[in-house]
Order: sequence, then structure tokens, then C-alpha cells
Amino acid sequence: MAEVAEVAEVAASRGRPGLRRVEQIMGTAISLDLADDLPAATLHELAEETFRWLRAVDARFSTYREDSEVRRFDRGELPLAGASAELRWVLERCADLWGATDGFFDAYATGRLDPSGYVKGWAAQVASDRLRAAGAVNHCVNAGGDVRVRGHSATGEPWRIGIRHPWDPAATCLVLTGTDLAVATSGVYERGQHVLDPRRGTPAPGLRSVTVVGADLGVADAYATAAVAMGRSGIGWLDRLPDHLHAVVTDDGRLLHSTRLPVTD
Amino acid sequence: MRRALLAITGLAASTTALVVLKGSPGTSQVAQDLPADQASVVPGASGGPAAPGVTPDPAAPSRSTRPSRTTAPTKSTATVRATTAAPRPTTSAPKSSTTRTVTGPTVTYKYGSLQVRITLSGSRIVDATALGMPVGGQSGLRADDVQARYSGTSGEVVAKQSANLNTVSGATYTSTAYKQSLQAAIDRA
Repeated sequence: MAEVAEVAEVAASRGRPGLRRVEQIMGTAISLDLADDLPAATLHELAEETFRWLRAVDARFSTYREDSEVRRFDRGELPLAGASAELRWVLERCADLWGATDGFFDAYATGRLDPSGYVKGWAAQVASDRLRAAGAVNHCVNAGGDVRVRGHSATGEPWRIGIRHPWDPAATCLVLTGTDLAVATSGVYERGQHVLDPRRGTPAPGLRSVTVVGADLGVADAYATAAVAMGRSGIGWLDRLPDHLHAVVTDDGRLLHSTRLPVTD
Repeated sequence: MRRALLAITGLAASTTALVVLKGSPGTSQVAQDLPADQASVVPGASGGPAAPGVTPDPAAPSRSTRPSRTTAPTKSTATVRATTAAPRPTTSAPKSSTTRTVTGPTVTYKYGSLQVRITLSGSRIVDATALGMPVGGQSGLRADDVQARYSGTSGEVVAKQSANLNTVSGATYTSTAYKQSLQAAIDRA
């Protein structure tokens, strides 16, 4: 695990219950905020399990490691029948999302299999599901900007989630609040042209960033990525998504969002 | 002689009738002169002479004020149902050559819906315009309800330097700022 270079953990300091921990996994920072007032050993073990899972996902799905299952499958060295349940699940979901987004979410957009656009959110979603099942009902998982919150923060308030300002990495442009949200934001700002219109192979103009709020973080992330790829027509597409809310920043700097988006000051 | 007169009168009358009857179908001929992509979205579904919007549609101005949606219609045409010609005016020949507009009903297509307004000079279509996009359906709801926020007059999205955040969505990479901010948050915890 060469990528796990930085680990920071803070447990129950200054009377604030819970535990906070950050690790570098999947080429990004993943942070965990456990807000339940549980024994320190329990919290530590929950965090251990969470990051063990995330590292295992990285090992299995990394497109940068030639020995990962995804790479072996993509090279044809591993038949589908021999693939893990996780890989088959991810492949099925990516196929579903390809259909649900009219092909704008495409795990094969680069010419080879790269399900990262779904995997990161999915991994965090599963981590959150497992934490809840284990009794840690108040937590926040942030996998490189994909956020899953449940319950309340350590202060007893609903979680407060900032949406990154698309032109200023140190600022936010919107603050959401809630007790059960999956929030994914996709933009053209950080990885440059990583969001391509898969039909034309060129970056789609129109939308600077898209935030999708729903119940499943993997789906929300894929939807946000697809909407950016659609360009301006992505706004209309987002409007017709059932069970999801959204916020959009256009190239000319306008912020639009669903009226029911849980925005706060 | 009298018989011949009757025959001539009759001939004249029927010729006149023919000419009069021939006058009206010309309107639909003109409609077909439209470029195919525009003609196809002019909805024949609106039906007969009593088609809605044959008089200038009072709702149209408000929709047409919505800006910068005019690029979409060209993409849409492939999926729009092709229908028969333009809304048919009444069968009587146009009484004057003043221009008037006819607005078709809203047509839904894959990424929204649109409305086409044609301008006629007499019976001739001189212009066809797609009205505000998107309209109707949930898109209409969004367009009416959605909040657009501007910072002053620059039109730029407002940066919020909000403290008291638990986390940030969208910081997808390990930017130094993100790590610093995150670390600072942990340090403050």
C-alpha cells in the first residue's frame, strides 16, 4: 500500500465524542468522521475496518496497478465467470448507468475499462452502509469529494456539507445540510478535461460543475459525471431524474439548483 | 339563345367556384416550403381550424424572454414526431396581407420540450422560430422555480467562506489546499 502515505487520526479530543481519520487511498484523500459517542477502542476498530475495505477496493479496482483485478479482466486474463462478486457487481452497475445516462457515463470512455467514476462513490457508500449496520449511525465519509453523511455531527447538528467553488479551491459556493445524504460533485476544474463527451471524445462545454444529491453515492457520482459530459442539456436531464436533487454551476458562472435542495447558510 | 346564355352563365359561375376553391389549399403548399427540420416540429396535432394559438398566444411572450436556449432545437429535430404540415388556417382565402403569428403547442422531445411560432404574411410563412427552451413539464417547473444566484452584477457564483463545515464535496483531487484544510479541521477538532 504505497499510497497510504498519510494517515491522520484524531480520537475524542477536547470532550468532542467520536473519531476523525484521513488516509490517502485511490489517489485521493478519504476522510472518515465518526460522531457516535462510542468507546475509543470500538471507534478505532470501526475506522480500521472502513479503511481496510477502501484499501481492498483500491487494490481490486485500481487502473494504475497492472496486477489489479480490473486490469487483469480488461486484458482478458480473467474470465467474467472467474471475477469476484464485487467486480461483477460493479460491471453490472456500470452497464445500468450507461443505459440510464444515455451513454454519457461510460466506463469504457477511454478505450479501456475504467469504472473509477462509479467505484469511488460506491466504495464510500458501502463503507457508510456497513458503519450504520455496525451501530455507528452518525458519520460522514468523504472519498475525494464524494460525501455520504448519516445522522448528526459530533455537535449534535445535522451535517454541513460545503460544495467546492468551481473557480476557487479554497472556497465553497453552497452549503447543504442533512442527516441522510449522498452528495457527489463532478467538475472540469481539477482534472482538466477528464470529463469527456463519450460520443464526440471532446470535453463538453456548458457546465463547470454539477452536484447530485441522492441516496446512493456511486449513482450520484455517475450522474454528476454524466451531466457534466452532456453540457447544457445536462440541466434538463438532471431535472427529470427521479429521487435526485442537483446544483449546477454553468461556464458563465451561474448557480442553479433544485428548489428542494437542502441549502443552508 | 336563352339556353346559350344560361350555359355561359353556368360556365362562368362554375369557373368562379373553381377559382375560389382552388385558393385555399395554397396555404398548406406554402407550409411545406419550410425547411424540413422546422416543419417537422410544427404540430399538426393541434388539429383543425380551431387550433390553439392561431391567434397570437398570450403565453408566448413570457416564454420567449427566456434567454440562450436557442441552440437546442436543432439537435432535437430528429426525435420530434413529424406531423402533417402547419396548423391550417380557415378555408377562406386570406382577407389581407398583414402578418400574423401562429403558435403551435408544446412538443416534448428527449431533452425537453419546445414550441414553434410561425409568422405568416398573408398565406405565406415568412418566419419560423422556436420559442423558449426548455418549457413545459418538469423543465418548466425548474425554469420557473429554480433559483439563480448572482453576486452583484457580475453574474458570478458567490463564494462562501463558510466556517463550520463538516466536509466539502467536489474537492476531487488531493489538492494541497484540500489537504491543508482537512488537516486544519482535524487539528481544530
